[in-house]
Amino acid sequence: MIKIEASPEEIYDIELEHSLLEANAKLAEKNRAVLDRNGITAIDFMGAIGSGKTTLITRLVEKLKDRVGVAVFNGDATTSSDADPIAAYGVPVVQIATINGCHLDANVVAKACARIDLGKLRLIFIENIGNLICPAEFPLGSKARVVVVSVTEGPYMVRKHPHMFLGAQLVVINKIELAETMDVSVEALTGDVHKLKPDLRVIPTSCKTGAGIDDVARAILAV
Amino acid sequence: MHELSIASALVDNVVKFANSPPSKKVLKVLLQIGEFTCVEPEQLLFCYSVATRETSIEDSVLEIEQVAAEVRCLHCGYAGPPKYWDDALAAKPVATLECPTCGNATEVTHGHDCTIRTIRYIEQ
Repeated sequence: MIKIEASPEEIYDIELEHSLLEANAKLAEKNRAVLDRNGITAIDFMGAIGSGKTTLITRLVEKLKDRVGVAVFNGDATTSSDADPIAAYGVPVVQIATINGCHLDANVVAKACARIDLGKLRLIFIENIGNLICPAEFPLGSKARVVVVSVTEGPYMVRKHPHMFLGAQLVVINKIELAETMDVSVEALTGDVHKLKPDLRVIPTSCKTGAGIDDVARAILAV
Repeated sequence: MHELSIASALVDNVVKFANSPPSKKVLKVLLQIGEFTCVEPEQLLFCYSVATRETSIEDSVLEIEQVAAEVRCLHCGYAGPPKYWDDALAAKPVATLECPTCGNATEVTHGHDCTIRTIRYIEQ
């Protein structure tokens, strides 16, 4: 190791105000402008592995694909196992493999946008990587961020990941058909969300029974 | 591990500064991290040491300073520190967006960024 010693008068301090999150935030704004120009609303789905993001998006695609143009960007560290079943519905799907990256960023979303015909679309669902921490710091250009938690993740999911909820516009509490079996209270989870952000809308859903899916679809169309 | 993405952006910026003429030896970088971000200082320090390896700023030191959260309420006009959730079972109280005075939702005014504050260097 080289040690540099200098007398104090030779040392300079330069004052900066340089944001490290700004580069991504600016790209996200650019994505948003491109989408706005095309009349497209992008919705970003974040949540843990196994919370039901893919299944929820699949249900929403089923509900909405005949009414409006929908496309799906599927973030996945390695596989296309989530993208393939959605593509079976005949909607444009772009698989974004992050190769073990822990979050999507605005740059990969811009690349995904360039891969599809934006002309006929009204909605793009972006499925983020299964992770409740990292994606919070990286806006993508979506108009709303949805956090999906499921009762199978236990009673403390919300308070364990506060940052994710502070930046969200909608929370879906999924797999409510299992709440009793899991001994997890949907009301308590909802209460935790409102402690963090009082005006954040929470919709309980079951992708199994279909409960709440219409409400999520309506909320998304109203964004 | 988004700290690695942040460390890479940090190192790119500081190396660019160090290499721009006149050439400089960077001694210390002071970084400010907001309380509302989820950037972990310990992990960032580690990522910095990895990301600076074999660069012109390899011997520089990263110093991290926390920026306290502040919020503003559009309902009652409150501006100041956020309400903390004390019994969230977390290691430390969790900053929330609930207004400490009226209970409505507030917006963040301070503590949501990650900023290079100063770079200390000598000219070579």
